Amino acid sequence: MKKILSIAIALLMIAGVFACNTGKPADNPDQGNSGDTAKEITLWTYPIGNWGDEATVKTLTDAFTAETGIAVKVEYLTYADGDDKVNTALTGKAGPDLIMEGPERLVANWGANGYMVNIADMFDATDKSEINAAALSACFADDKTAYEYPLVMTAHCMGINLNAFKEAGADQYINTDTHTWTTEQFTNAVKALYAKYGDTVGAVFCNGQGGDQGTRALVNNLYGGTFTNAEHTAYTWDDAKNIQALKALYDLEGIAYDASIVGGDEIANFYNGIFKMAFCWNIAQQQNPNSAGTGAGKTANGDEIVFMAFPSQDGKAQLQGGIWGFGIVNNNDNARIEAAKKFIKFMADSEHTADAVRASNFFAARSAVEGKALDVWSSDPIMAEYTKLMPMLGDYYQVTKGWAAARTAWWNMLQKVGASDGSEAAISAAVAEYCTQANDGAK
Amino acid sequence: MSPALRRRENISGYLFLLPSLVFFVGFVVIPMIMCVVTSFYDANMNLNTPDVFIGFGNYVELWQDPVFIKALVNTFIIVGVSVPFVCAFSLWVASVIYKMREGLLSFFRIVFYLPVVTGSVAVTVVWKWMYNNYYGIFNHLLKGAGIIDSNINWLGDPKYALWCIIIILLTTSVGQPIVLYVSALSNVDQSLVEAAEVDGATNFQVFWRIKWRQIMPTTLYILVITTINSFQCFALIQLLTSGGPNYATETVMYYIYYTAFKLYRFGYGNAMGVILAIFIGLLSALQFRLAKEK
Repeated sequence: MKKILSIAIALLMIAGVFACNTGKPADNPDQGNSGDTAKEITLWTYPIGNWGDEATVKTLTDAFTAETGIAVKVEYLTYADGDDKVNTALTGKAGPDLIMEGPERLVANWGANGYMVNIADMFDATDKSEINAAALSACFADDKTAYEYPLVMTAHCMGINLNAFKEAGADQYINTDTHTWTTEQFTNAVKALYAKYGDTVGAVFCNGQGGDQGTRALVNNLYGGTFTNAEHTAYTWDDAKNIQALKALYDLEGIAYDASIVGGDEIANFYNGIFKMAFCWNIAQQQNPNSAGTGAGKTANGDEIVFMAFPSQDGKAQLQGGIWGFGIVNNNDNARIEAAKKFIKFMADSEHTADAVRASNFFAARSAVEGKALDVWSSDPIMAEYTKLMPMLGDYYQVTKGWAAARTAWWNMLQKVGASDGSEAAISAAVAEYCTQANDGAK
Repeated sequence: MSPALRRRENISGYLFLLPSLVFFVGFVVIPMIMCVVTSFYDANMNLNTPDVFIGFGNYVELWQDPVFIKALVNTFIIVGVSVPFVCAFSLWVASVIYKMREGLLSFFRIVFYLPVVTGSVAVTVVWKWMYNNYYGIFNHLLKGAGIIDSNINWLGDPKYALWCIIIILLTTSVGQPIVLYVSALSNVDQSLVEAAEVDGATNFQVFWRIKWRQIMPTTLYILVITTINSFQCFALIQLLTSGGPNYATETVMYYIYYTAFKLYRFGYGNAMGVILAIFIGLLSALQFRLAKEK
């Protein structure tokens, strides 16, 4: 009897598991049927400037609660394990109501995988005319489907230690007015720095994907290579121009392919004076280097940091954009979705938008709010200076299919190039291998 | 005992078991079954595409995946180095310290056990600093001693990275076996030892013929636990190398995580988990069998 009972329970459990496993809905589930607005919503935010700071975010959410009566519970994610938390929550049907991040996650990943609410109805004609065209485009999966409402954007760049450049006589190669330089000037600057310091002055970091926007932009800009095609349907980093750039970096004494560090480590080394340039930089770093709170535009020992566009042959860089905003997770509850939409409207399309933007340390993704010009940073000289880089924003290709696998392939490729003998054949082979892998993931 | 009394006692026993059983079934048995079931599916994160039953497709693909093979080889290297070393080293330390007076014995137990109770993140941060390419203490000392001319990128060079990981793993693995061996050696029947000594047995003969046999259950436990821990080496890899450079530190556990949580290939990741469990089971069974024969 006991044996029969045990077998019956085991069979029941196995049947239950099979039932669970094949229970994936074929279509986007119905969005619930409750009519009212929820009284509490949850927001999970990545550390986008001070949107990772509890005190700052509380000021913003308190203002929202005071106006709408909707409470906001906030959870702060890190880039180290935030994706794992979100993925686990989404697949376990325990996701938040709102996530603050960029289109590469909200649109190309969670949106494409069916976990986000289509919020295309939140963009009226006025919004579309006021929001930056590149940011707007990145938030839409197609003409009728949007998974993100953009709040802020920036152009990623690189930082240099001006004092070190001056000591090495390398400051002659940079234009601190336009913040641009050519590939030849960059090469000469590295040579001068290496001659002065005799050690690594900049690193092509490749321990993981952290900060990889910097290495991608560096390689793509040096000789005009591309990462994807214009249609965002295939990865094209195996072109000859990128191979030329990877080899040039390999051959350049003073630049090291370093498989033991990621972007965050690189920033720390730059801030501490070990590196003389950082490829993982942006306005938030310029305002608060290494998040150390020791003064804008200064290294740990007080050296001046100048932000620079990535070097290119003609000095006209195509910078990598960073776009951040809000997406709504489909929790099958219209009341919560409506509340989440109110939150987005409050933060990204109202008189409170300037405060929400200011909290991020980035630039507003829109020029005006409902016809009224949005003035956030006009009184801040660093931000005003940084706007010189914004016209150099290049293609936002992070929405290409298979993006997560492509990012991994990229840093693995850099590791292989760094560990190779540096011959063009070895570099070409490594590039071809991983670019193929990335394209396989895009199918 | 009457059948009614026996039944009542059985029911009481099962009721006492119930809370643990619920957790065991909920968090161990059911996930295990789900893991096996999912491994037969092309399962991913996409809600819009149903999971497809592909039979042994994931298992076939595994053996054609060079990264998985590399991860498997690395895992076996870690197990092959760390299990014998941990057992031998901890037995040696334990046999040296177990006869010391109480205060000194406690001191050594604390010293060796400290890395076990310290959080793996804290331990890893310290080791990462020591291995640092630019300002790490190892490079500083070796350069100072004139052993190396230029810095070694310990964690960034495929030649060294896996060994660096193994060294950290060893320091965090020997604490518990030392404590267990100290306890086991203290419990060896002294009358047998004294009788052997009276009969003229050498120290080695006393150890091999008496102590070694009496601590065999402890050795078996240590072997199995160390083997499982070594097979499941994950946190160090994730925090230090992400499996690189060039997959030099890729382990099966890390590759499972990477495949499931970065590439969202849940079926493929689960297939790896099943294979790993089979390997651990086989090796543990072998260890049990050998120990039983002894």
